[in-house]
Amino acid sequence: MQKLHIQRKEINPTLMDEMGFQAAIGVVEVLYPLLCKSMNVLTMFPHAEGWHLLKVAMISWEYPPRIVGGIARHLEGLARALVKQGHEVHVFTLDFPGAPEYEEIGGIRVYRTRSEVGHPNFLSWVLLFNHFIEKRLATVSKSLEFDVLHVHDWLTAPCSIGFKHFVNKPMVFTAHSTEHGRSGLHIPDSFTIDGLEWWATYEAGRVIVTSNAMKHEVCGHFHIPWEKVEIIPNAIDPSIYQGAVDKWAVRSRYGIQPHEKLVLCVGRLVPQKGVEYFIHAVAILARRRPEAKFIIVGDGWYRDHLEWVANTTGQRWRITFTGFIPDHDLIALTKSADAMVVPSIYEPFGIVALEGMAAGVPVVASQVGGLTEFIEHDRTGVLVYPRNPESIAWGVEHVLSNPDHGRWLVQNALEVVQKSFSWEAIAKKTSRVYEEVMGKRGEKA
Amino acid sequence: MSFTPLPPVPEEFQVLSMMHNIGAITPERSLTPDELAMWTGIEILTVRDCLQRLRELGYVEHLEVSGVEKYHVTKIGIMKVLTLYS
Repeated sequence: MQKLHIQRKEINPTLMDEMGFQAAIGVVEVLYPLLCKSMNVLTMFPHAEGWHLLKVAMISWEYPPRIVGGIARHLEGLARALVKQGHEVHVFTLDFPGAPEYEEIGGIRVYRTRSEVGHPNFLSWVLLFNHFIEKRLATVSKSLEFDVLHVHDWLTAPCSIGFKHFVNKPMVFTAHSTEHGRSGLHIPDSFTIDGLEWWATYEAGRVIVTSNAMKHEVCGHFHIPWEKVEIIPNAIDPSIYQGAVDKWAVRSRYGIQPHEKLVLCVGRLVPQKGVEYFIHAVAILARRRPEAKFIIVGDGWYRDHLEWVANTTGQRWRITFTGFIPDHDLIALTKSADAMVVPSIYEPFGIVALEGMAAGVPVVASQVGGLTEFIEHDRTGVLVYPRNPESIAWGVEHVLSNPDHGRWLVQNALEVVQKSFSWEAIAKKTSRVYEEVMGKRGEKA
Repeated sequence: MSFTPLPPVPEEFQVLSMMHNIGAITPERSLTPDELAMWTGIEILTVRDCLQRLRELGYVEHLEVSGVEKYHVTKIGIMKVLTLYS
């Protein structure tokens, strides 16, 4: 089967004369789709028809097990789906204790690079590790010709841009968020990061964002042409939420009694996730729904402050901060919750809400960014005002006090997730973007 | 988009972040409190206090090599640091 995934350039023309070569290509072009069709592999490798099986270099500072935010999971899902379509995906990323320097997982080749020189200052460290990743890219490219480079976020933009010019290949940039949106531009480092983000959007042949809100933000802030930016949403694998879970056993592990309601909030504990507003909502909800308990999953530099806020509410005993927990525990906990709250004040996409929807829990989310693009208010979830504890409390109470309505929301949400957010669809759209930038190669790499 | 003023990043978190950025993330790359104080420019007593708290929280690990105490960031500590930048 592997032999069928032959590319034009992999056929060595020196082995045959020009006519023989053309004839061979013609025969293969006719026979290959027929063979594929007869073997029912076209659905498995849909791009085989177009002869655009690509060698893709994905470059990112995070890839499992190094998981910072949503990027690592996004990359893993996308890479897996691209490989399934027949493409060759090489991921270049940073090292992580215990993870091998090179490995092939499910057809994805992962190159983890250690930064041999560090610096206490974050930006200096970033620029140093970019040098080492670029060196690794150069080493690997001696024996491998990539068709396209795909860089995720600004952190690996410097090495990707340098490498792009070195190998003269097109580059695609996915802007998962912007510094301007994450924290505002208030310190010198933020302005540098903002500049690096702009540089990546300028150098890229195409820019991918995960929502319409992000497209507006990127085009407006960086002044790049509207048509240069493609919206390709995030996706999830709904199958991981399909196993049975002993809901009561899971809840009891976290001290939730059978008669109590469990409200879950998952995310990095950083200001833009709005967890502070959720904690203030707890104080309101405690009066209206005394049987409610609240679990906050995740960690981050803002955690101390959030715990202090929780202490000031008089309801600290209702709130559990779990820190980071393993994926399988998180899935079980999500499936066991009565409601999930996503109180973000800035959210380019909001994959955690999609995960809640796939897990079958009613989602109450802020009306911001990408969340508003896949949550339809009171049909697939409940949208509430951002930075507004009263509104969050209303949303949670709305689903807790109407279990039948909550189940209806969940059913609608599941349909949306399964229909519109599969990795297969996202990988198809992404490979189309690759093909477009490759078509433009002669104009501007 | 307006933001309320953020509280300062806690001091022990700054130490954790610097340890990560200079590469003290595995046992073989662990550093002594003196080395950490030199690298980060933070007072040795402050570094020691921070290391103690970070150990309690599970973000750094302590080991003794030939009677010398050394520290490195744990996997959970790495993930905690990276939340600052994403």
